Amino acid sequence: MSEPNGKREFADNLLAQDPPSADKQLRHKEVILKKIERRMCLQKAVIVAIYIVIFLAAFGAFNLRKCTDNVVHSICWGTVSLHILLWSLVYILRGICMEMEGLIEKRLGNDERRRNKNQNLFLTIWAIIVFVLSTWLLYRSFFLTNALKAVQTAVSILWATIFFLIFYPFRTASLIGKLWLEYKKMELNDRT
Amino acid sequence: MEQDKLSNAILVLSCQRRDESAFRELVNRWEPRLYYYLRRIVENESDVWDTLQETWLAVFQNIRKLQDPLKFPTWLYQISHNKAVSLLRKENRYTQMTVEQTADYCENNNTVSAVNEQAELVHKALGKLKLAHREVLTLHFLEGFSIREMARVIGISEGTAKSRLYYAKNELHKALKGANHV
Repeated sequence: MSEPNGKREFADNLLAQDPPSADKQLRHKEVILKKIERRMCLQKAVIVAIYIVIFLAAFGAFNLRKCTDNVVHSICWGTVSLHILLWSLVYILRGICMEMEGLIEKRLGNDERRRNKNQNLFLTIWAIIVFVLSTWLLYRSFFLTNALKAVQTAVSILWATIFFLIFYPFRTASLIGKLWLEYKKMELNDRT
Repeated sequence: MEQDKLSNAILVLSCQRRDESAFRELVNRWEPRLYYYLRRIVENESDVWDTLQETWLAVFQNIRKLQDPLKFPTWLYQISHNKAVSLLRKENRYTQMTVEQTADYCENNNTVSAVNEQAELVHKALGKLKLAHREVLTLHFLEGFSIREMARVIGISEGTAKSRLYYAKNELHKALKGANHV
């Protein structure tokens, strides 16, 4: 028996010396998972509320465009577009990361979690499509009416995107790289 | 081991995306180990359950801040340790967690392999040790943490962790010898 397996076996034997009582464990799990579920719902509700407020404010500004200043107008729409554009990027990277996770899950043979992952990936792809479409609609509905404003905002978006690109994707990409390395290590260990 | 590490990392990533089933699995996977660890620190069983609950809630709240999912076990035990310590502090039972002399640590593999089949004896002997020693040995036996990881969990320097583990092993050895004589 290899050394790590021996250690694992010993740890399992040690755990078996003082196991939690099944009843209490079940009750505890129910309580904690219910609490977590409640918090999850609350967080999702808050995020959805924030999104709705942002978009309502943006559309409100759009409807009032005749009486608002052009610069304010352009900043407003620039921000909304930027928001959508950046989120698309986040989702694309998340999709890549999930693809990597799916690859590992497949290797580990965890079918249930793999199915779950596929569902998540499906949702991610939908999110990307929705974001791309809404961005396109925004550009058509507003920016095409004023070419100069479109150029100004495009430059802002470009800079902000580059700024953002330095942070979030770098972290996600390094995470994907790490997972890939571990995956390869696992593959090599399996072969030897 | 590698597979465990990777599958944990993937679960953590799913939890960061607020995947409820991943949380469920994470709790299922880690609860017995955390329970055993906390039982070695906190004596009262109902306190252990309370601490466990606080630990999981803290995990849920902060999991997005965990930048490297591969470091999840250390992070989880760190939270658990902090929760247990704050509970003991509240009850003024946290007295002797700061030790001790500095000495060179030498890995005594013979001791480890000799006790490999004697989990029951080790479990009983752990109960006779002082809290600080019990804690490092539990982390050592359960998770096989390195000195650095142990130091991170307990919040001490690597040198202290090294010497603490060394003395703890010596104490365990004595306790086991004593048990054999009886």
